[in-house]
Amino acid sequence: MIVARGLTKTFGPKLAVDDLSFTVEPGRVTGFLGPNGAGKSTTMRMVLGLDRPTAGSVTVNGHSYADSAAPLREVGALLEARALHPGRTARNHLRWLAASNGIPRTRIDEVLDLVGLDAVADQRVGRFSLGMGQRLGIAVALLGEPPVVVLDEPVNGLDPEGIRWVRTLARELAGQGRTVLVSSHLMSEMALTADHLLVVGRGRMLADCSMAEFIADHAASHVRVRSPRTGDVEALLRGRGLEVDRQGAELRVQGLDAAGIGELVGGAGLLLHELTLVQSSLEEAFMTLTADSVEYSTHPAPQEAQATR
Amino acid sequence: MIDTVALNPDRHVPGARRHPRAADTLHAEWLKFWSVRSTGWSTAMLFVLGAGLTTLVCATSAAWLASGEADESPASFITWGLFFAQITALALGTLIVTSEYGTGMIRATLSATPRRGAVLAAKAAVLTGTLLVAGVVTAFAGYLGGNWFLDREGIGIALSDDGVLRSMLGSGLYLAGLGLFAMAIGLLVRHTAAALSIGLALVFVVGNMAFLLPGTWGEWVAKLLPGNAGSGVATPVSFNPELLAPWTGFAVFTAEVAALLLAGWLVFRHRDA
Ligand SMILES: Nc1ncnc2c1ncn2[C@@H]1O[C@H](COP(=O)(O)OP(=O)(O)O)[C@@H](O)[C@H]1O
Ligand SMILES: [Mg+2]
Repeated sequence: MIVARGLTKTFGPKLAVDDLSFTVEPGRVTGFLGPNGAGKSTTMRMVLGLDRPTAGSVTVNGHSYADSAAPLREVGALLEARALHPGRTARNHLRWLAASNGIPRTRIDEVLDLVGLDAVADQRVGRFSLGMGQRLGIAVALLGEPPVVVLDEPVNGLDPEGIRWVRTLARELAGQGRTVLVSSHLMSEMALTADHLLVVGRGRMLADCSMAEFIADHAASHVRVRSPRTGDVEALLRGRGLEVDRQGAELRVQGLDAAGIGELVGGAGLLLHELTLVQSSLEEAFMTLTADSVEYSTHPAPQEAQATR
Repeated sequence: MIDTVALNPDRHVPGARRHPRAADTLHAEWLKFWSVRSTGWSTAMLFVLGAGLTTLVCATSAAWLASGEADESPASFITWGLFFAQITALALGTLIVTSEYGTGMIRATLSATPRRGAVLAAKAAVLTGTLLVAGVVTAFAGYLGGNWFLDREGIGIALSDDGVLRSMLGSGLYLAGLGLFAMAIGLLVRHTAAALSIGLALVFVVGNMAFLLPGTWGEWVAKLLPGNAGSGVATPVSFNPELLAPWTGFAVFTAEVAALLLAGWLVFRHRDA
C-alpha cells in the first residue's frame, strides 16, 4: 500500500507536484494517468525517496521508503529514465542489485527468464534496444518479489507483443494481491490495464476513482435527435427537464436514454428522423479532463512560418 | 476478496536473508566497481605507469646518478612513476561517483540502498581498498624494476634504507587519499569531465604553479595544497626540498580530503537523485 498526503514538489519556481493525496491499494492495478509533464515521474521518485518532497509525505507499507530494511524486497520499481551503466552486462546489473539486498543469485536467472532476456544476459546493456532496456528494468523491479510494484511508463519502447505482456503481468501481479501502480500518458493503455485511476494534470489530482466511475462520469454520452420539427421537439424535451443542446438541425439530449426520448416524442405525435446514442471515447474524456492542464500542447504553425519555407 | 500479499519479504524469495547488512552494500559496490571495463583498464594503467615509468627512469638515469655529477638522490627516483599513476587514481575516484550520475545509475543505487551514508561508506571502502593495494603493489614492482638498474651501477637502495618502506606503503596511502579526494569532487560536481578536470588541475597545475607565488604565505599555500602535502609520504627523498615532512604533509592531506568528503556528503545527503 502506498499512501501520499499533501505531496508537493517544486523545482525552483516550477510547481511539478501540487498537493497530491492518494492511496494505492493492494490487489488491483492503479493507473497513474496524465499528460507529459503532469508530475507522474516526480511523484514516483518521491515514493522511492529519491526526490525530497517540498511538502507533504508519502509512505510505503506504513513507513517511508528510506526506512525499509530491504527495499528491493518490499518495493520493486521501474523508473522512467534508464538507470543502467551501458558497459555492464544485464546479469551483472542484476547481480549487484541482488547482492545489495541479500537476494540469492538463483533469483537472477529466474527474472531474466521471466522477462525473456536469458539469451542476452551476458551482453552489455549499452547494446540493448529501448524495449530490452525496459524488460531489464522490469526484471529489476521483480527481483525481490516485492509486494509493491511501481512502473513508470513501462510500455515505452515496447512492441505490441511486449505491451500485451506488460499488461498481463500488471494484472497478474495485482491478482496475486500485490499493490501495483502503473503510469502512462495514454488513456487507451490504462483502459485495458487499470482497475483504479489517478488522473493528474499540472501536478494536481483531477480524478481519483475506479475505472467504471471514470467512464460513467467523464465519458459523456448524449442522444442525437433529428426531427423535421426541431423547435417543437426541443421545447417538449426541455419541458421535461432534460438538457438539450441545439446544434443546427441537430439536438443533443442528455438525461434520458434513447428509448425514453423516442417514447416521449412519439407520445406527443412528433416525427423523428434520427435517434442515436453517441458516446465519447475514453481518450476524448481524458483529453477534455486534462485540456486545461496540458503543458506542451501543439499549436498550428503560423501562416508566415509556412509561407517562408 | 483478494488475498493480500503479506509483507514478510522472506516468504517471497526463498533463501533471502532478513536484513541486508553493511557487508551487502559493500559487496554490491564491489561487484558494481569491477563489472565495468574502465576499472580494470584504469588499474592496469596505474600499474603500468607507476611501475613501468619508475623502472624506465631508473634505467636511463642510473649511470648519471652513479657518476657523481648528479645533484639528486637515487632514492628520489624509486617511486618516480607515481607522479603519473596519480592520474588514474583521480580517474577511478571521479568515476565511482560521476558515472552513476551520468548514466542515471544513482537512482538504482539509492533505491536499492536508501541509506545514503552506507552507499558512500561502501564506495569509499571499495576505492580505498583497491587503490591502497594497487598503490603498494605498484610501488614495490617499481622498486624491484628500478633498483635492478641502480644495483648494476652500484647505487642500489635497500628496503631498510631510510624512508624506502615508508614510501612503498605511502604510495598506497597517497593514491587512496587522492581517489577519495576525486570522489568528493565528483559528489560536489557530478559531471565526469568537470570533476576530473578540477581534480587534475588542482593536483598538477595549481599544485605546481603555487610554488611561483611570492613570499612566505605563497610558500605555505604551495606546501598545503593537497597534491603537494600528500605526495611527500610516497617518496623516500623528495625532489622538492620545500615540501612538508612526509607524515606531517600526509596528515594535512588527510584532513583536506576529510573536509572535502564531508562537504560532498552534506550535499549528497539530501540532494534529489
Ligand atoms: N529534476 C528536475 N528539475 C527541474 N524540473 C523538473 C525536474 N524533474 C521534473 N521537472 C519538471 O516537473 C514537471 C513534471 O515532470 P515529470 O514528473 O517528469 O512529469 P511526467 O512524468 O508526468 O511526464 C515537468 O514540468 C518537468 O519539466
Ligand atoms: Mg514521466
